[in-house]
Amino acid sequence: MISAPQSSGKANGIKLVLAWGFVGIPLVWGIVQTLLNAIKAFQ
Amino acid sequence: MAVSFLNRERTIATPGYSRWLIPPAALCVHLCIGQAYAFSVFNLPMTKLIGISRSAPGDWKLTELGWIFSLAIFFLGVSAAVFGRWVEEGGPRRAMFTAALCWAGGFLVSAVGVYLHNLWIIYLGYGVLGGVGLGIGYISPVSTLIRWFPDRPGMATGMAIMGFGGGAFIASPLSVWLMGRFATPNHVGVAETFIVMGLVYLCFMMVGAAIVRVPPPGWAPAGYSTPVQPKPLVTTQNVFVYDALKTPQFWLIWWILCLNVTAGIGVLGQASAMSQEMFRGRITAVAASGLVGLFSLFNMLGRFLWSSTSDHIGRKNTYFVFFALGTFLYALVPYSGAIGSIGLFVLCYAIIFSMYGGGFATVPAYLRDMFGTRYVGAIHGLLLTAWSMAGIFGPVLVNYIREYNVTHGVAAAQAYNVTMFVMAGLLVIGFICNVFVGSVHERFHMRAVEAEDEVEAAPVFGGR
Repeated sequence: MISAPQSSGKANGIKLVLAWGFVGIPLVWGIVQTLLNAIKAFQ
Repeated sequence: MAVSFLNRERTIATPGYSRWLIPPAALCVHLCIGQAYAFSVFNLPMTKLIGISRSAPGDWKLTELGWIFSLAIFFLGVSAAVFGRWVEEGGPRRAMFTAALCWAGGFLVSAVGVYLHNLWIIYLGYGVLGGVGLGIGYISPVSTLIRWFPDRPGMATGMAIMGFGGGAFIASPLSVWLMGRFATPNHVGVAETFIVMGLVYLCFMMVGAAIVRVPPPGWAPAGYSTPVQPKPLVTTQNVFVYDALKTPQFWLIWWILCLNVTAGIGVLGQASAMSQEMFRGRITAVAASGLVGLFSLFNMLGRFLWSSTSDHIGRKNTYFVFFALGTFLYALVPYSGAIGSIGLFVLCYAIIFSMYGGGFATVPAYLRDMFGTRYVGAIHGLLLTAWSMAGIFGPVLVNYIREYNVTHGVAAAQAYNVTMFVMAGLLVIGFICNVFVGSVHERFHMRAVEAEDEVEAAPVFGGR
């Protein structure tokens, strides 16, 4: 069995931050908008 | 050159590639196609394309527009079933690329339909072409995630399928904002919004297709080894996609998904009206829309939390929780109305919707446990026909039961009580189906040499 390639090095870390930021930022923005609307609805 | 970029062998990961890049690649696709849940924001504007401020003669009716979403969900199920094997054998990049073209193409064709005011073009664009993009996109990262995360398949697929639930959170405010930017006193701005969204989704999904990789044959995460003593109800064998259809396990899981989704989707569409009618004068239309947003959040979070939990307690036990707890909660909703407790109502629905989402997200790992990893994406595609079926049955069941009650003199506040008990009954049937799920008989297992050939021959399409 081939051993797991270790995600080492700065480049890999930057890729991970960029990739997760790329999907995470819009998702968090959408969730915040939804929560704000939900709060407004109850005021 | 460009086509070879899509080939499976071009997507095999090189040493050093982090498997944690796969969930964002999958999310790039699922966050985009999850827009389908937010399509309703276009419904009202599209009834005023001619009249602008109000519907005019010649404007489309809501009932006609409702078919766009229904067609898209229908073609999601059909395309996932038809193209499942093609997706599995061609690899995730080709599938994601194709899904991106279909999904974005659906928006662009629909923009033409809006511009020409021809509803059939929109049916064809968003409904058929977009629906095919939905189906291929939905299943495209599933088996790849399961192969990269053999130690946590539930969590991995849960992350992607959570994205499908979360897509609406982005699409809904984005669509409203874009329509506001493009609207003029004599123009609603839907066509331009479709064009911009189609192009944005195309770029976003292409990023996912570019970063996705499949693990090299024989790869395993550090510290992980295939269990010598297999866990109960977790196979180490593989079942060929069409052989899975011959097993009782496939059909039991088909019914499990169908019943769980029927119950959830039925009340999801009615949550706003139901909350206003059960708590008349206490929950306004605006508050109800806020509640629906809150429930959608639980739907999304449930996808990740329940599927991750299933890695620890097992898939079968997770569905036992869904069906047992779900039955209790559905039966409790009428009681919350009777005692006038909004808090209890919200709590019941929040958990119900988390389990509705959890049912979607846990099922790929359940299939992997039953049929192995080789064709899990294709088998998952076939299973999604249960979703199409539930998408029709759920809302119809809820609407007809309510209508029957109201026409027979039942007060609006109590009109949903029977519905809730019927939904609880469906979950009892689901519970019984789950009881009968056992290991797949070994006569359905692929022979070792056959499975090895499959791994070696994976880039060659069409061979069993």
